[in-house]
Amino acid sequence: MPTQVYRFLRGYTLDPGFSTQLDTMTINDTVYRVRWEDLQDENQKDTPGPVGEYFEVIDIDPPSNCYYAPVNLNAIEVLSQNGLKPSEGNPQFHQQFVYTIAMKTLMHFEQSLGRKLIWAPRAVYENDKFVRNEYVGKIRLYPHAFRAANAYYHRDKKAILFGYFKASLQIQGTNFPGGAVFSCLSPDIIAHEVTHSLLDSIHPRYMEDTNRDVAAFHEGFADIIALLQRFTITDLVVKQLSNAQGSLDHFTVLGELATQLGSALANGRGALRSAIGQRNDDGQWERRKPDATLYQSKAECHERGSVLVATFFDALIKVYNYRTADLFRIATNGTGVLPQGAIHPDLAQRLAEEICHIAEHLLNVAIRALDYCPPVDINYGDYLRALITADIEFAKSDEKIYRVALIDAFRSWGIFPGNVTTLSEESLQWSAPDLSEKQEKAMDALAAFLKTRVRDLNSISNRHEVWQKSQDIQRDLHHLMVNEKSAVLGDEWGDLLDKLGLGTKSIVFKDHTGTVIYKNPKVDTPIEIHKVRPAYRVGNDGLVLEQVIVTITQSITVEVDQGNGQTQPVKFRGGSTIIFDSSKDFKLSYVITKHIGSNARFLAQLAYQLNSTAGQDASFTDSMYGNNTGFENINFAHLHFH
Amino acid sequence: MAKIDVNIKMYRVGELGDCFLIHFTDGTATSSVLIDCGSFRNGGPSVERMKAVAADIKTQQKMAGGGPAPFDVVVGTHQHNDHLSGFVHAKDIFAEIGMKEVWLSWLDDPNDEKATLIAKGQRKLVDKLQKISALLPAMATAGLTNTVGEPSAADHINDVLGFYGLAAATADSSPAVPQDGINNLKSLGKKVSYLSPGQILDLPGLAPGAVKVYVLGPPRDNDLLFDINPGKGESYESKLTAAANVADGLHSALTNFDDGQTLAEEGFFPFDKKFTRSLTDDEFMNSAYKKKENHWKTIDQEWLDQAEQLALYLDTYTNNSSLVLAFELVESKKVLLFVGDAQTGNWLSWKTIQWNNPAISLDSLLQKTVFYKVGHHASHNATLPEYLEKMTNPDLAAMISVDNSDPNITKPNGWKMPAANLYKHLKQQTNFRILRMDGKYEPDCDPKLPEVQKKWGSLFANIDDKAAFVSYTVKG
Repeated sequence: MPTQVYRFLRGYTLDPGFSTQLDTMTINDTVYRVRWEDLQDENQKDTPGPVGEYFEVIDIDPPSNCYYAPVNLNAIEVLSQNGLKPSEGNPQFHQQFVYTIAMKTLMHFEQSLGRKLIWAPRAVYENDKFVRNEYVGKIRLYPHAFRAANAYYHRDKKAILFGYFKASLQIQGTNFPGGAVFSCLSPDIIAHEVTHSLLDSIHPRYMEDTNRDVAAFHEGFADIIALLQRFTITDLVVKQLSNAQGSLDHFTVLGELATQLGSALANGRGALRSAIGQRNDDGQWERRKPDATLYQSKAECHERGSVLVATFFDALIKVYNYRTADLFRIATNGTGVLPQGAIHPDLAQRLAEEICHIAEHLLNVAIRALDYCPPVDINYGDYLRALITADIEFAKSDEKIYRVALIDAFRSWGIFPGNVTTLSEESLQWSAPDLSEKQEKAMDALAAFLKTRVRDLNSISNRHEVWQKSQDIQRDLHHLMVNEKSAVLGDEWGDLLDKLGLGTKSIVFKDHTGTVIYKNPKVDTPIEIHKVRPAYRVGNDGLVLEQVIVTITQSITVEVDQGNGQTQPVKFRGGSTIIFDSSKDFKLSYVITKHIGSNARFLAQLAYQLNSTAGQDASFTDSMYGNNTGFENINFAHLHFH
Repeated sequence: MAKIDVNIKMYRVGELGDCFLIHFTDGTATSSVLIDCGSFRNGGPSVERMKAVAADIKTQQKMAGGGPAPFDVVVGTHQHNDHLSGFVHAKDIFAEIGMKEVWLSWLDDPNDEKATLIAKGQRKLVDKLQKISALLPAMATAGLTNTVGEPSAADHINDVLGFYGLAAATADSSPAVPQDGINNLKSLGKKVSYLSPGQILDLPGLAPGAVKVYVLGPPRDNDLLFDINPGKGESYESKLTAAANVADGLHSALTNFDDGQTLAEEGFFPFDKKFTRSLTDDEFMNSAYKKKENHWKTIDQEWLDQAEQLALYLDTYTNNSSLVLAFELVESKKVLLFVGDAQTGNWLSWKTIQWNNPAISLDSLLQKTVFYKVGHHASHNATLPEYLEKMTNPDLAAMISVDNSDPNITKPNGWKMPAANLYKHLKQQTNFRILRMDGKYEPDCDPKLPEVQKKWGSLFANIDDKAAFVSYTVKG
């Protein structure tokens, strides 16, 4: 009997507002294809809502003091019609739509990463003390959680809350004054928020605001995913490209995020965010030009995030222009100058295929790059190196245009990685440290251990079991390293850890004047194995790439003098992402470190969190109202407040 | 013309609050200036304390043999309880003393069109927040079963609304205390002036030109006035409108929890009522949402966070509307800077001021500053680091009107006053010459300790620490 592979569900490609404009109404509806899941519990009862393996939609509307009946996507009248018809006025469609886009986003991640996604576990506290991590199977999606032009990922509740609000009474853009606007109907917003939760699952430490790129990376990365996903909808791209004469330098809605929400705000002048350009004060649309100063000068995380988005978009345009130059030559008899008016539909189709292909590649690489990022304290430069590494892994023998375009774009936006001497792909690609013979043997032993244990993981379909087994492997690996390998290695043990960004010897930090401000009281700082996950991915040469990703970290707490007679604990972390590669017989292929013993990095974090480098930012950063200051985690609810 | 001495008395108001009595003495002539008089709360003890403060001020104003000398100038910096409540609770005493002139910011000017517009928008928002506050108790009892054992969101919001003296107010109560305070000042002042940045005044009571007063804030530029995080290119009216929209939505939602009051529009917002179901129906009560083990992922009260954010927004705006004055002792080239509770946007606007005399520069005013009244009880965003750096005068001393026994500070996750980094920085800039209202000093700046007195040097002789106030004299 054939089995279902996909569920087809209707939905908006842009925001619902575009359905009531003539030029976009025909492209605003599409049929999404998401992975089939039964949406039934073990008793074969339907789980409306919908409630699936990864997401659970619950439509309680607390401010309205009510809930909305859950949609049953398995009901014959729904299933046979590719889901409910897009409608702003039917909450059940809203439920269907958040589910659709959330699944779509998840699928992109699982395809790119080559493994099942496990949500970040829930930290359980009793009497304010951490007791254990608990497995989280599903993220909750609340389509109508509160009344405001906002949506956010609530980390502690493992939930995404979508807001809705009454549009401003002013007439602006395509806004319907006083009408209801739902953030859960914007595919951009859904993708953005789901990406936050996915990124949190892959890199939980990126919730810690340790340098000014971290929160911005979260924001920028989520926008990149939202944008690129849109470019994979071919119909939409064809139409928009025809309007823009095939050029991405002209205004299109493709580069805008959350247009309807943006123009419904009282202060809205259009989209919430725009990657490629924006309307100036006179209402004229202007293409955003690379500006190498912004990365240095912008501190606010959304503005800073938009620099990353613009950089990425520039790379996309560069590849697109390069790859379509021939098509334009053919279409213009070599002049390169298109006649006035719409371009030929065939040309639009071909251009759209190119751009969709490019977007898919970039989406893939953008997500895969996460596996090549350090486990803590990310900055944009690290991400560029991760992108280059991911792209080389993906397309080793392929033309280099993506790499070149990315490097070029990052350069023109003034983003340079530290610790590299050239911007060539060879220097940017991460590498493995040189190991002594003894150390290499030790790593080989670890690899051999991982090889067998980790392969088991792949044969398990139950995610909870995968999580449980991973925990076991982590514990065993820890034992192997600390209790066995350290004995075998003797003095070289410390040396090896050092190469992994870790430290066993006492760590000493000095301030700018050379005064010692921290001395690790313990001889050994404990190491934590954070993640052991296998990944099986297909490269574009058809070869399967089998890797094991291990992250090991350490943390120390430094009591920093506040100047008011009190000290404040500052948590400082270090460690590395370690990648073993099957194509190299499970040998060590990359070690991506943020060293725990780095005095410079410690002082940089301190300066950022205490902001002692006064004058750089507009205000002192510790918050009057917040929890114990800058060491607070990134709070998405506040980040997104407008 | 002799050199002018200035004595600054910071009154101990017993909780967060500002009250500064300043005497400028030029030989035999004296000019007295009172900047703000208020404390955070309006309960019995607070009222008594404000009366005692006013009585002491009256004593200070007494001339030998005569009655109390009226103030030459009384300044109300901005409409917050902790700066104005004294003018309400001790109105009689202030009436006895008398006020020759009252200086308020242009935002309090009833004839300023822009100010009126802003005031209207602001009043609307305050109004809404009052209504919201009045509805919250109903909300708390509306059977949100998942909130047992957690602090009620209503309490939490009322706590925040305390900023405006609104907590106890109901929708139909009299205007809040700060507004009364401004009204009292307007009626008590023989002459009332509304000041705008760029104005330069001669201090009344002294020879013209002896002390010049520079008005630095509040800015007339909307972007800087209404946003503590300026630079996003959003204009203020629209920000206020946006805030009012959110408040409207919240208010409307809260009526859902009070049967008698539910607004008609709730009948079709956000969805037609045919879609809605009761949270107490069997299906929902038995759903996964209600299961005890899932309690931690419920969201019954998350939506009320908006009220808190609104309240904070309004509060910050009000701080930012502070009247900022720099008093220059012309002959001795010394400046005293009083910033009220001005936030970043206000500070940033100073450099955009067009003075009618090109010789005036902000940098030189800052460089000449020998006394700084630290903004907003030394919270993190009420002193601009860039300008603090420019206060390089070797005689710089600062006063912080903070009382660290205030419940707002002592409560869990309380307000961070003084903010650590700012405090550290202030110590550097002033060489540890900092006076606090509460007298709670760390060893490195406790003026009772000899090594700290060394840091004050000859300036130490100018400190007078009494029960009612701590005073400091700037010698001309």
